[in-house]
Amino acid sequence: MTDRSRSYSTEGIVLRRRNIGEADSILTLFSLHEGKFDAVARGVRKAKSRMRGHLEPLTRVQVHVARGRSLDVFTQAETIEAHRALKADLERMNLALYCAELADRFTIDRVEQRPIYELLVDVFHALDGGASAQAARYFELHLLAITGYEAQLDACAICRQKLPEEETLISGPAGGLVCRVCRPAASSGRILSVRAIKVLRYGRTATIDQFDSLRLDDALEHELRAALGDLVRPVLDRELNTTRYMDALERADRIPALSANHVQSDQSNPVPPEP
Amino acid sequence: MAEGSSTPEPIQRLVESFHRLPGIGPKSAQRLAYHILRTTEQEASALAQAILDVKQRIRLCSQCMNITESDPCGYCRDERRDRSVVCVVEQPLDVLAIERSGGYRGLYHVLHGVLSPMDGIGPEHIHIRELVVRLQAGEIQEVIMATNPSLEGEATAMYVQRLIGPAGVKVTRLARGLPSGADLEYTDDVTLARALEGRQEV
Repeated sequence: MTDRSRSYSTEGIVLRRRNIGEADSILTLFSLHEGKFDAVARGVRKAKSRMRGHLEPLTRVQVHVARGRSLDVFTQAETIEAHRALKADLERMNLALYCAELADRFTIDRVEQRPIYELLVDVFHALDGGASAQAARYFELHLLAITGYEAQLDACAICRQKLPEEETLISGPAGGLVCRVCRPAASSGRILSVRAIKVLRYGRTATIDQFDSLRLDDALEHELRAALGDLVRPVLDRELNTTRYMDALERADRIPALSANHVQSDQSNPVPPEP
Repeated sequence: MAEGSSTPEPIQRLVESFHRLPGIGPKSAQRLAYHILRTTEQEASALAQAILDVKQRIRLCSQCMNITESDPCGYCRDERRDRSVVCVVEQPLDVLAIERSGGYRGLYHVLHGVLSPMDGIGPEHIHIRELVVRLQAGEIQEVIMATNPSLEGEATAMYVQRLIGPAGVKVTRLARGLPSGADLEYTDDVTLARALEGRQEV
């Protein structure tokens, strides 16, 4: 895969960007053929840079990369999917960035991870087409499965006994549902409704479009978000930046915005962000 | 350790201070430190004083959050400026860029940063709340979001729009399109689409 030729081409999704020096950026690209890697984009912050718009985070891009001594260097970039609609909507942009950070944390450098890449491409495509927060839930569920942390949803994660159809404890550290008998052995968890369990089971085999077209009420959506959050957290060593950011947005939303002579107070709390 | 290999402590300290500056590597830091060593004492103390002055005399304007020596700043005090428009920028340097363009005669608001989901930077880390407070006075009719046309800049603009749009204040965004001297062939789809949307009669 990695022959030592001086340059290579691949497609990928820009996960992250950090600026260095006058006008350069280091980008983290999650690529189809090379896995995740960091490379430098020279002069990309100048107005006349030819690669600038193509290398924005969340863009799916075809790149040509030259091998460098320490870091590789992007020499050409062309957009495959700009995901313009997704970037024009604060909620969906946040969901996509959340998925991007998860992908970043669940992968290691320079190892091809085609199933995760294709999953991310699908999720971004769905979000760009107007999918809801369910797309992010779908991503979490499948990311766990692909990386070997598949949630145990059919039998008890501890004793492997079959589960009756009732409200059941779901535990992140145990890695799935836990039966009544084993409950004391699970270090933490939350009770999941029968509806939520069914949605999770359905999500395993559904396509992203099928999963997104499920009509879930707010309570159920909230339940799923919390349960999948519990399952993802034990795998990560520290909190995600995007989660911290979205929590901050939520906190800021609770502060009444423009109360004075402009706005009624019930309007000052817009849509709460995800997740 | 041979005696000759150790640099005198004051020089060492100066080299380290320079090295902490952005864009200064170890070699440049050394060159700068030895340059200072060769200058006259006057020049050196002028530099030291200039650095101290910046730290001691410069503060944020209580209204627009721009850096200033006197509060309120020159822009906020200037009676000839249009007080119904506020241009929101990321950094103090952006104010200079917009002033240079000569096309703007309103007020400013400096956020000192942008929302950055990827770095966990939320609204409480930048001066957004001060903007909301300014708007409550009711004098401002339009807010021009002049944050960079990057993902973070867009996120910030959308967030501000969501925060103050419902209050009836007009929120506008700088146009996006082709920079002068650009090449259509190399332009990304988003910019080109925006340029088409914003096309104007010749």
